[in-house]
Amino acid sequence: MNTTTRIVFTGMGAVCAAGLTVDELWTRVVSGQSAIGPLRRWDASRWPVQVAAELTGVDNRTLVEDRKLHKSISRTDMLGIYAAGAAIKHSGLTAYRDAMKPEAVVHFNDRTGVFAGSGGGTYNSNYDFLPLLTEAKGELPAFGRELGNVVNPMWLLKNLPNNVLCHVGIRHGFKGVNACVTNQCVSGSQALAEAAWALREGEADRAVAVGHDTPIDAETILRYHRVGLLAPDTIRPFDAKRAGTVLGEGAAAVTIETLQEAQARGAQILGEYLGFGCVTEGSGILEIRPDGDGVARAIELALADARLQPADVGMIVAHGNGTQSSDASEALGIRRVFGTHPPPVTAFKWAFGHCIAASGMLDLVMALRALSERVVPAVATIETLDPACRPLPVFAHAQAPRSGIALVICRGFAGMNAALLVGEVPCVLD
Amino acid sequence: MSAKRRVAITGLGMVTPLGHSAPATWEALVAGRSGAAPIRGFDASGFPVRIGAEVKDFEPTRHLNDRRLLKFCLPPHAFALAAAQEALADAGIRPTAATSARWGCAVGAGMLGIPFEELRDTHRNCFASGEFNPDGLLNEDFPTDPVAFCRSQSNAGLGLITRYFGIRGYATAVHTACASGGQALGTALRVLRRGLVDYVLAGGFDSMLNPIGLSGFCLLGALSTDNDTPQRASRPFDATRNGFLLGEGAGFLVLEDWEQARARGARIYAEFAGVGDSLSSYRITDSPPNGDGPIQAMQQAMADGGVTPETLDYVNAHGTSTQMNDRSECAALKVVLGPETARVAVSSTKSCMGHLISAAGAVEAAVCALAIRDGIAPVNANLETPDPECNVNIVRGQSRRMRIRAALSNSLGFGGSNSCLVFRHPDEPPAATPERRTSCS
Repeated sequence: MNTTTRIVFTGMGAVCAAGLTVDELWTRVVSGQSAIGPLRRWDASRWPVQVAAELTGVDNRTLVEDRKLHKSISRTDMLGIYAAGAAIKHSGLTAYRDAMKPEAVVHFNDRTGVFAGSGGGTYNSNYDFLPLLTEAKGELPAFGRELGNVVNPMWLLKNLPNNVLCHVGIRHGFKGVNACVTNQCVSGSQALAEAAWALREGEADRAVAVGHDTPIDAETILRYHRVGLLAPDTIRPFDAKRAGTVLGEGAAAVTIETLQEAQARGAQILGEYLGFGCVTEGSGILEIRPDGDGVARAIELALADARLQPADVGMIVAHGNGTQSSDASEALGIRRVFGTHPPPVTAFKWAFGHCIAASGMLDLVMALRALSERVVPAVATIETLDPACRPLPVFAHAQAPRSGIALVICRGFAGMNAALLVGEVPCVLD
Repeated sequence: MSAKRRVAITGLGMVTPLGHSAPATWEALVAGRSGAAPIRGFDASGFPVRIGAEVKDFEPTRHLNDRRLLKFCLPPHAFALAAAQEALADAGIRPTAATSARWGCAVGAGMLGIPFEELRDTHRNCFASGEFNPDGLLNEDFPTDPVAFCRSQSNAGLGLITRYFGIRGYATAVHTACASGGQALGTALRVLRRGLVDYVLAGGFDSMLNPIGLSGFCLLGALSTDNDTPQRASRPFDATRNGFLLGEGAGFLVLEDWEQARARGARIYAEFAGVGDSLSSYRITDSPPNGDGPIQAMQQAMADGGVTPETLDYVNAHGTSTQMNDRSECAALKVVLGPETARVAVSSTKSCMGHLISAAGAVEAAVCALAIRDGIAPVNANLETPDPECNVNIVRGQSRRMRIRAALSNSLGFGGSNSCLVFRHPDEPPAATPERRTSCS
C-alpha cells in the first residue's frame, strides 16, 4: 500500500443554518454568533424542545436549480447535492475537464470517485403514506388497493439513502470508485477517509466527499429529547452547565486530489489530508464508555496513520456535542493521548447545531479554514470548564494554534469514534 | 506498491427465504428450489403484488438466547445477528478481550424501516385533520419508547452486532441500495488489506417485506406481478421476465488474514481476491443499455483479483429479472468476457431466493464461496424462453458440476452504484496481481 501518496484538498463547499458558503460559516463562527434559534419549521410552542439550527429563508432553487429534480429527491439530498456542487466548482475540476480531449474525459471521469456520508432517512419520509392511511381507514387491503392512486410513484427513489452519491455522479459525470456510508454521526468522516484511501491505493486520482443530514423533523427531535440528548437552549461544550445537544441541518463537501495531480493542473491547495483513525467501542447503539477508550484509540490510530506524534498537533476540533457523557469521556480520551498539556481545543456545534451525518465534514471545512487563518476560534458559549473536562484548553476567546496541524474528532451512535488529521498549506510546500 | 495482503473466507452464515442457515440455503439453491410464496407476514391481499420470498418460521430466540437484545431488533437485525452468529461458529473463532480491537465489522444495512403499526400510531395521533399535526406526537398515547428510537438508527444493526460479539476495531455501515451487501464486502476487503484489523465480520441484512417496503417497490413497478405462480415469478434472463421477487434475509462472512487463517488450521472456503466499484452515472431509474458502468466495476474487480476471462469460471449475476437490469448486465458481461462469454457459467440465484436488497450482495458472496468449495455452479431456475439479448452461458435446467477456479459476484444498485467482487479457489496459486493504475500520466 502506498502511504506516501500525498493528498490535498482543492475545493470546499458547505451549507447549514450559519450560511450558504464556507466564508459565511466562518464569519459567523469567528464573530461568536450562534445560528441556533427558535424552532420555526412547525409551531413548537407546546414542545419540550423549542430550539434548533435550521436553515431558513433559502429557496430550494438556490440549492438545486433543476426544479424537476425537486420531486424526486428529499431535503437532505438537496443540501448534499448543493454542497458537493459548490466544492466541485470551487476546485475548478470540471472547468479543467472541459478543456480535455474526449478520450481523456472518459479516463478522467472513470478515475474520479464519489463518497457520500448520508443520514440514512428521517421519520417524516414515511408521512407520504398518511393520506393513504386515511383513505384506507387504517386497513391493509384498502391501503394496498389505493396505493397507486394516492402516493407519489417515485416515493422509494426520493428516499434512497444513496441519492446524493448517485446524483452527484450523474450531474458531474463522475463514474469512479464510490461509497455511501450510513453510519450516523461518523458517516461524513468515514466517507472522506474512504475517498482518501482510494487515492492512496490507486483506485482514483481525485474524489469528492460529502456529508449531509437533516434531522430537524418533529419525530426525530422528540425521540432525541426522550432519550435525554437535547438541550433546552444551546450547546455548551465541556461547560459545567452543559445540558445536551441541539440538532442542526446541513451538508459539507470537499474535493481531494493527489498532490501530483493538483500541482500538475495548477489547482489551489487548501490543505493536506494527513491521516485517519476510526474504531467502535462495541458498546451498543446509544451507550458510550465513560473512559474515552474509543476517542483515544481513534486518535492514536490517526497519528500512526499520519506518522505524527501528539506534540505535532497544533489544535483540536472536538466533537463537543454538549451532552454530559460524550463531552466528559471525550475529554478523558484526549487527555489519555495528549497528557496534561493538550493543544488548544475548540468545537463548532455551538455555532450551527449538531448536523449528525454532516457534522464531521462541517467540522473539517471549518478546521481547514482555521488553519489557513491561523486561529483557533472561541467557543462562544463556554463559561466554566467542567472540572471533569480538565485540562482541556477550551475558551470563550480565540487561541493560536501550536502548529499547522489540526485534529478533528467525530463521535456517533454504535460507539463510533473517528479522528482525522489535516494540515495547512505550508505543510504541503515543505 | 507492495503485494496485497491475502484475505481468506473462513466462516459463512445465512438467514434466507430458503433456510435459516448457510447449508440449508445452499442445498435449496443447488436443487433449484424456490423460496417464493404468497406473502404471509401481513395482509397483502389488496396490493398489486401479493407474493414474496419471506424468511419463514424464523424464531430469533432459537438462534440468540438474549431477549433483551432482541427487543432492540427489527426483523432484519434479528436475521443479521443469527447469520453473524452462524458465520463465527462456522469459522471457529470469535473476538476475545485480547483480540477485540483487531476485529472489524462492515455491514450493508437497509433503509430506515418504520413498522406499519408505528406509522398507524402516528396517523391516529397526528393526522385526524388530514394535515400532519406535530403536536399529536406529544399525546400521551403516542409511544416514544427509547427502544424504537434505537432500532430506527441507520447504524442500529452495526451497534447491536459489535456489542453482542464484542468487536472494537474499524466498523462501518453502508447503503448503496441493491448493491449495499457488495459494497460492505468490498469495504471489508479493503479494511483488511490496509492492516486496520486482522478479522472482519462482514455482511448485509434487509427486510422490505412489510407494507411500506412493498409499497415502495409496487409504486415503482419493479416487482413481478405473477401472483398466481410465485415460484415462477423470478426468472432472470428469460424473455418473459417481468420484474423482481422481493426477498429478505441476511448473509455474513468471516474474513481473515490468509496466513493467520492457515496458521490456525482454519478451513478456507475461498480467497476473497478482488473488488471493483463504479458509478453508472446514467439515470437514477435506468440501467445503462450498453453496460457502461458495470463493465468498469467487473474489469476492476477481475484485475484486482488477478483473474482474466480465461481463468474465470463462474459469475453469480445480479440478475434481478427486470427487463432492464438483465439486458444491461449481459451487455456488460459480453464486453468483459469477450470470446470467453460462451464458456463462463452465469447464474442468478435470485431466481430461487428473490432479491434480498441490502443483503443480496453479501448472501451472494457467501454463495460464491460455497460454489467454489463444492465445485457447483448453482442453477438459474425458471429459464425457459431464452432472451436473445441475454445470450451468455446461463446455467439452465440443473446446477452444473464444474471446478471453479474463480468466481465473480455482481451487485448493481438502483441509482447506479456497482460493486463487483472476485473470489478464488483456495488451491489456486496466488496471482501475481498487477498494480492498479495509479494515474493518467
